[in-house]
Amino acid sequence: MKQSPRDKKLEEVLRSTRLVAGGFMGADPRHPIDVIEQDIIALEDLGVTTLQLANRMRELTDLARPRLGAWTTDPSGKYRVKSEDFKGTLVCPWPHPGFYEKRITTVEHLQTHQQISWTDLNIHMIEEHGFFEGKGAFFRVEPKEVVSILFEDLTQK
Amino acid sequence: MMVCFLVTILIISSIGAALALLLVLCEKYVVNYGPCKITINDERELDTIGGKSLLAGLTEQKIFIPSACGGRGTCGVCKCKVLDGGGPLLPTETPFLSKDEQENNMRLSCQVKIREDIKIEIPEELFNVREYDCVCSEIEDLTYDMKRFRFDLKEPSTIKFFAGQYVQLRCPKYKGNNEEVYRAYSIASDPKESGYIDLIIRMVPNGICTTWCFQLLKEGDPVKLNGPYGDFRLSETEAPMIFIAGGSGMAPFVSILSAMRNAGSKRQAKYYYGGNTTKDQCMADEMKAFEKALEGFEFIPVVANPEEGANWAGETGLVTEAVQRNFKDLSGHEGYLCGSPGMIDASIKVFKELGMPEDNVYYDKFS
Repeated sequence: MKQSPRDKKLEEVLRSTRLVAGGFMGADPRHPIDVIEQDIIALEDLGVTTLQLANRMRELTDLARPRLGAWTTDPSGKYRVKSEDFKGTLVCPWPHPGFYEKRITTVEHLQTHQQISWTDLNIHMIEEHGFFEGKGAFFRVEPKEVVSILFEDLTQK
Repeated sequence: MMVCFLVTILIISSIGAALALLLVLCEKYVVNYGPCKITINDERELDTIGGKSLLAGLTEQKIFIPSACGGRGTCGVCKCKVLDGGGPLLPTETPFLSKDEQENNMRLSCQVKIREDIKIEIPEELFNVREYDCVCSEIEDLTYDMKRFRFDLKEPSTIKFFAGQYVQLRCPKYKGNNEEVYRAYSIASDPKESGYIDLIIRMVPNGICTTWCFQLLKEGDPVKLNGPYGDFRLSETEAPMIFIAGGSGMAPFVSILSAMRNAGSKRQAKYYYGGNTTKDQCMADEMKAFEKALEGFEFIPVVANPEEGANWAGETGLVTEAVQRNFKDLSGHEGYLCGSPGMIDASIKVFKELGMPEDNVYYDKFS
């Protein structure tokens, strides 16, 4: 596939270690545009949009934030959630202003004990860019995994 | 028709790309900006050769502006006021500068290129900032995810700082990190000990610098840092104080308590240190020693969720909840905070509710 200069620059930034250790692509050899397309298709096949997913993730982060890193249970009683702040900021690799506190939210399904973590930057990148990060990247959000935990009603149908 | 259209676009794009490349090459190899002057605060003049960034020009002259990304325009830390000769504000700078800052001629020094004589303003204290060659002489585990690092200063061999200030630690390139970065850490040692500095660092998941500190840095390794920076410090009043910190927010308070001990301070200070479990608590013995040495000081560790069987007899819940339980009126107190933005915001809210004037709150927010 022929890349436009903009796509080429984006790939360079996503693969570099300039913004996060190991880069946003991990060991994924695919072009970021392919990663985005394939993840969005996988998500849609599960019956969820990027906006719905981002909203659900943000809702759980916002629930846990006032507990300053301590676990709390969500109103449904299905999950326990914690949101920890770390030193530093995360910068969106797309060319627009986008700085996020280094906050990591962890959700555990209380019955299955499945756990998943994300940063505030993940929420933004999923919502605005449809980007879940490359396979092997430290904060890669696997569409199937996140949906199976946060939208279990859909996956059980 | 379609092929003709595509070929036309291709030709135009190629010409555009070639011209852009030519400009970059000319800028790099042909254009000679010659000798330029950097005038700082209307009192100091530095000679340099144009063509480099303002940040690089200043660093070359041993004037260090804090910068976390090493001058690549990704951290937005290296701000300074450019009064003349900086050229127009660049799109790479605007995301980092508020409207007020833009109106007040603030610029990112890593993005401003020296092409002519340039006039800038920087805080006077930056003239005292130095780069230090050090050796890591001691690494101590404080908790499962927090360590204290001691760096013996070699060149220069002494540092002068006040309690509450920070330094920037250089993280070198390593496998998985292709670029040098700098990260800010509060100094955790006694200001009277000028031959070394201690830093307390908490592991950040996938953090570039903390991965190096925790996995690669060994005792005996050479280390570079620069500093001191910052204006987080105790006021000169005698007002009673509340300190609140969590995690590596402990660092400046160790330094501040050491300075209080050196001065024989009798000032009242209660220090609430929060953690999620008992495993997040640390330095209990050192805090006890401070309690002995400082008659007005009390250390109050707070655990949000003590583990079953941990036999935790201290305060529980969030640090902010412990403060709310223990005080009805903080209108005469001063508050000192170091930690995550979430913890600082929650603490300021509680201080306000308990009547503490906003001007009495001092904080060092992780960023």
